[in-house]
Amino acid sequence: MLVRFWGTRGSLPVAQKADAIQGKIARALLAASGREFADEAEAAAFASQTLPFSTYGAYGGATSCVEIEGADDAFFVCDMGSGFREFGIDAFRRIAGGHARTYHIFLSHLHWDHIMGMPFFGPAFDPGATVVIHSGHADAEQALRRQQEEISFPVPFDWLQAKFQFVTHEMGVPAEIAGVTVTLIRQHHSHDSYGYHFARGGKSVIYSTDSEHKLENMDSEAAFEAFFRGADLVICDTMYSLGDSVSLKQDWGHSSNIVAVDLCRAAGARRLALFHHEPTYSDEDIERMFEETKRYEELLREDRAPLEVICAYDGLEVAI
Amino acid sequence: MDWTQETAGGRVVGRPMGRVDESTWELFSQHLIAAVRDARSASVPLVVDLAGLDYMSSRGLRALTMAKREAGDTVAITLAAPNDRMREILAISRYDKLFEIADSAGPD
Ligand SMILES: [Zn+2]
Ligand SMILES: [Zn+2]
Repeated sequence: MLVRFWGTRGSLPVAQKADAIQGKIARALLAASGREFADEAEAAAFASQTLPFSTYGAYGGATSCVEIEGADDAFFVCDMGSGFREFGIDAFRRIAGGHARTYHIFLSHLHWDHIMGMPFFGPAFDPGATVVIHSGHADAEQALRRQQEEISFPVPFDWLQAKFQFVTHEMGVPAEIAGVTVTLIRQHHSHDSYGYHFARGGKSVIYSTDSEHKLENMDSEAAFEAFFRGADLVICDTMYSLGDSVSLKQDWGHSSNIVAVDLCRAAGARRLALFHHEPTYSDEDIERMFEETKRYEELLREDRAPLEVICAYDGLEVAI
Repeated sequence: MDWTQETAGGRVVGRPMGRVDESTWELFSQHLIAAVRDARSASVPLVVDLAGLDYMSSRGLRALTMAKREAGDTVAITLAAPNDRMREILAISRYDKLFEIADSAGPD
C-alpha cells in the first residue's frame, strides 16, 4: 500500500502569506551566506540538504484528504476536505493512463472541513465514474446534498454525472472492499466521527482523525489500542498540546500529539503520522510540535521497539 | 509506582516513586485524589514531590488534571523537583503552563 496525503490541515484551509515566505527566504539567505552556487540546481541541492523543512518546504494548508493506493481497480480516499480537489485532478491524469474510474471514499464525519472539497471534485462530472461514499453516519448523503443547495453552491448535487452510492457501515464489522478489509470504530467528536482500519496482505493503515480521547474515560482507550494493534501506519488527530486539550480546548473534539504517541506505543504500532494540524500554526510551529513529539517518544521508549513519528504534509507519500 | 505521603510543615507532600504509565496510572490517580482530599480537610496546600519519579506518560499527566479538578479553588497543587526527563515532558505537554512547578519539595 501507498499512502498519499492531499490535505493535512485541520478545521480550515490556510494559505501562506508574504511574511511567511519572506521569513523562509531570509533564513535561507542567512544559511547560504558566503557561498556561491553555479546554478539553481546547485542552490536547490544545498537548500534541500541543509535547510529545515519549515524553511525549504511547507506543510501545506489543504484540509483532510488522504489517499490509500493498493485496492483492486479503485481509488481509495479518506475524507473530502479541500485537498480532494487536487486529488480529483490527479485522478484524471491516472485514468488517462488506464486507471479504473471507481472511487471508494471513506468519511470520518461530515464536518465542513472534511467534505468541502466535494463540490470541486472533477470526477463527479464524469458519467463513466462510480463514486461509493462509505460512512458510519446514516446522514452522509444529506450532508453532501445540503452543501450543494443553491444557498451555498451554484451546482446542485443532482447535476453530478457520476453514479453515486452511499454505504453506511456497522461498527467493528469488517467489510471487504476492492480487496481491502475495512473496519470502523466510533470516536468521540461532535455528531460522532469514525476511525478506519484498512488491511491487506498483512499490512494495515489506520485513519483516526477528529477524535478526542477524554480524560474522564481513559478506560475506553483500550478499544483504540486494540484498533491500532500492530498497525504499520496510524494517522492521528494531533491538533493540540495535551495541556490545551484538557483545559481551554477540552470538548473541542480533538486530541494531542502525546496521547497519540501513548496509544500507538501501547498498541505496538510501527509508525505514527501527525495529522489535522492546527490552522493557526506556522510551518515553524508544526515543525516544533513534530520535534517535541519525537522527543517525547524517545523519553518514554526504554527497551521497547521505537515508534517512528512522521509529520504529515500536503504531498507526502508513505510506502507501507 | 509506589506512593508515600506525609503532612508536615503546613503541607501535604505526596511522593510517587517509579513510573506512571498505562499500567500504573489508576493507582497514581487514586493516591493523588486522596491526597487532595487530605489537604482539603487539613486546609493546607498539596505538594507532589516528583524527585523519585522516573517519568509519567500522558495517563499520569491527565491524572494530575483530574486531581486539579478535584481540588478546584480549595487546594493549591505544586509539582516539585521533577528530574530532567519529567521537566521535558512537562514542557512538551504544556503542563508547565497548567501547574506551578517548584525546583525542590522543601519548604521555602
Ligand atoms: Zn476536522
Ligand atoms: Zn470535526
